[in-house]
Amino acid sequence: MFAYVVRKLLNTIPTLLGVWIVIFVLFNVIGGDPTYIMLGKHATPELIADVRAEYGYDQPMLKQFFRYLGETVTFNWGDSRATRQPIATMIHDGLGPSLTLTVPAFLVTTVFSVLMGLLVAYFRGRWIDRIVVIGCVIGMSVPMLAFILFGQYFLAYKMGLFPIHGFDPAWPERFHHILLPALIWVVVSLGYNVRFYRTALVEEVGQDYIRTARAKGLGELPVFLKHVLKNGMVPILTNIVIEIPMLVLGSFLLESFFGIPGIGGITIAAINNSDFPVIRAMTTLVAMLFIAGNLATDILYTLVDPRVRLK
Amino acid sequence: MTLPWVTGSFSRMKHARLWVGFISLSLLFSAACTSKPKEELPNTLRLAQRGKVKGLDPIYADDTYAGEEVSRAYEGLLQFHYLKRPYVLIPALAEAMPEVSKDRLTFTFKIKKGVLFHDDASFKDTGGKGRELTAEDFVYSFKRLADPKLISTGWWLLDGKIAGLNEWRQDAQKKGVADYAAPVSGLKASDRYTLEIKLLSRAPSFLYSLAMPFTSVVAREAVESYGKDFLNHAVGTGPFRLMEFSSNSRLIWAKNPTYRQETYPSEGEQGDKEAGLLADAGQPLPRADRIEVQVYVEDQPMWLTFLSGKLDLSAIPKDNFQQAITPGKELSRDLSEQGVRLVKSPMLDVTHYTFNMSDPVVGKNKYLRQAMSLVYDSGPLIELFYNGRALAAQGPIPPGLSGHDPKFRNPYRQFNIGKAKELMVKAGYPGGQGLPPLTYITTAGSTERQMTEYAVRVFDTIGVKLQIEAFSWPEFQQAVRNRKGQIWSFAWNADYPDAENFLQLFYSKNASPGPNDSNYSNPEYDRLYEKSLGLPDGAERTAVYRQMVNLLVEDCPWIFGVHRIAFGLVQPWVKNYKRSDFHGASKYYRVEREK
Repeated sequence: MFAYVVRKLLNTIPTLLGVWIVIFVLFNVIGGDPTYIMLGKHATPELIADVRAEYGYDQPMLKQFFRYLGETVTFNWGDSRATRQPIATMIHDGLGPSLTLTVPAFLVTTVFSVLMGLLVAYFRGRWIDRIVVIGCVIGMSVPMLAFILFGQYFLAYKMGLFPIHGFDPAWPERFHHILLPALIWVVVSLGYNVRFYRTALVEEVGQDYIRTARAKGLGELPVFLKHVLKNGMVPILTNIVIEIPMLVLGSFLLESFFGIPGIGGITIAAINNSDFPVIRAMTTLVAMLFIAGNLATDILYTLVDPRVRLK
Repeated sequence: MTLPWVTGSFSRMKHARLWVGFISLSLLFSAACTSKPKEELPNTLRLAQRGKVKGLDPIYADDTYAGEEVSRAYEGLLQFHYLKRPYVLIPALAEAMPEVSKDRLTFTFKIKKGVLFHDDASFKDTGGKGRELTAEDFVYSFKRLADPKLISTGWWLLDGKIAGLNEWRQDAQKKGVADYAAPVSGLKASDRYTLEIKLLSRAPSFLYSLAMPFTSVVAREAVESYGKDFLNHAVGTGPFRLMEFSSNSRLIWAKNPTYRQETYPSEGEQGDKEAGLLADAGQPLPRADRIEVQVYVEDQPMWLTFLSGKLDLSAIPKDNFQQAITPGKELSRDLSEQGVRLVKSPMLDVTHYTFNMSDPVVGKNKYLRQAMSLVYDSGPLIELFYNGRALAAQGPIPPGLSGHDPKFRNPYRQFNIGKAKELMVKAGYPGGQGLPPLTYITTAGSTERQMTEYAVRVFDTIGVKLQIEAFSWPEFQQAVRNRKGQIWSFAWNADYPDAENFLQLFYSKNASPGPNDSNYSNPEYDRLYEKSLGLPDGAERTAVYRQMVNLLVEDCPWIFGVHRIAFGLVQPWVKNYKRSDFHGASKYYRVEREK
């Protein structure tokens, strides 16, 4: 397994390099110049020249690329051009609020989706199954913004069940503030997840070994929990593990509407301001997490399915 | 304990753990659901910021959000009188208005004695107690604004104005590091409480600079102690101390217990007394005990929070305008019955379409620009995009500033399609024939898109076609500064209450990438502008301003749009609220909730 992990890690190098090249070209060649954002409305030619010299924007593109590459591989993120905050601090400060929202929402979504998947797979073809599938399609079709507007207006403002907006870094007050956004996250995610898990589990239900288990006289619950669920876990696990790195990114819409100071808002603000160092840090972070997630998925396969061997 | 439906390999211990986990999770969630917001002080202001506060270092306070927050903790030599209009400069940390030399080049300020910086761990000599402010602190703070390494967005205020400061900056650039011990001839602390500033040339607007957040005084100990993290701290002499700062979420401020003796003003403009704005005259500042600022990136949550009574002041989002305001532009019955007050006040701004005067097509054809100006009707524009909250602009100077003539009617801003068509003939493009589509650059927001569609329709009536190019905000700025595009829409908000701040937008030496982004160049205009810089505020300068406006009207480098009117809502428990175009008003507000 060690050799496999090392090989996988080495394989990530060209992937990361590709990501870095694309980002560099997008924001240095095509995108806007952050100098104007930094200097505001009173920029003068002298000031612009000073800033460009200070940050090396006046150097040849190739030289800029290699400097950028050097800073990236050494994790020297530097400061945001738009806010002047150290990027490491921005990530550190944003990570907590983002994860406070996404981790509980993700856990609830996952447990609930798997249970719902099992339930509808058990009742496949019957009215429960149909109602759940229709509900899933509706959930997938309605944009998250509609859920946010509805939730904020009716559940928070009209009924007073949740705070309308805000985030309190103290514990456990922070949970009080993320309840509504987390609920919206769960509702929005359920549609896709339940349908996906149902498909994976229904496929297992039709397998020969399930018929054999039943023929042996095993009850339906043990059949579902021990056989269907275990064997259906490979696609489910893939979906779950791939989602985990994305939790770090938070949710831009939920963070914006509920005032959660997370990574999602930081990333979008960076894109809007052509804040290249922040974008670079975020994309690198996500790419690395994504690769780590894939690696973890491969390793987990071997745990849930002994037939899988890492070579 | 065994769950009835689970059989097989799970052990009893595992079941017990599952139950413990489940119960703990339930308890955590129920605690979260039932936890109540912390008890708040009765005199707590709850305010909104409509954008992220990027930091609290005064030298970067170039947007509304940072400027407002910086001004809670920091102060400068001067400030604007809270109640008087037009705006009047009064001393803040200065003991009095400066003594001005005969040649009007040297300003001598006496600094108030006994003013203390906020208590902070960076004051090691005093064991964390804030030390006394001295004139040297201003010298240091102004040099900081000029330090090339810091790339302050406020350097333009002092650039080329103070004797020796540009040389000090150039020296720092050459050496790669600023020498704060090196003297600057025009910036001197002649004793502990006396500051002398010598200007290179007369600049009546210079004093306004000293009331802006950029020139606020900072403590060297705090700057050096926090280093790069200084922008996340606030160690000033101001009325509030920073308790919590999350740049994109919230800020908590508490009354500064060591704040200097400053009192609420005892005079204002006509109507202030009747409005109850003088009830606190002579009372010590700040009036509020605590300020909680929440950052609202989106309008809906801010609006709902205001309606629920948990926000004390609010603007009216475009989409909620009809809910809050009647067709007669008064407050809706629902809100009136709740005691909410509507405050309307004109803003010191102007929106406009800019013609790129360095472009060979639009820049060289005055008749074409005049025709387009004539056909751009402000009436529908104000209703469609401002819900009626704007005045048609006749020139660049907004109401409330010397040089604005309320009776003046710009002949090229009175909608007249017939005259516009005649001018198109004079321009050499009858009915738009022979005129290539004009490149119209814009940002990609939804409102901008709607305004662009409106412009396309309006200019099409005289045969002028637009070719639209939409950009992100940084790309748009880059295009404007690089003189790309032939026409675009923009707005200018006053940095200080002087018409010069608007008229400098047409001075040829400020052309792109400077603030004169139309690249307008008229030697006569430049001459008048330079003449106005040496004149004190008064009839002579106002007459010069009017001549300059007349030139702009005729040359038409802009299509003047509107001066916006701010509509603000105030909860009944907020006292002393009067809208200000400048920062630092929150120290006058007070909260008095009914028991």
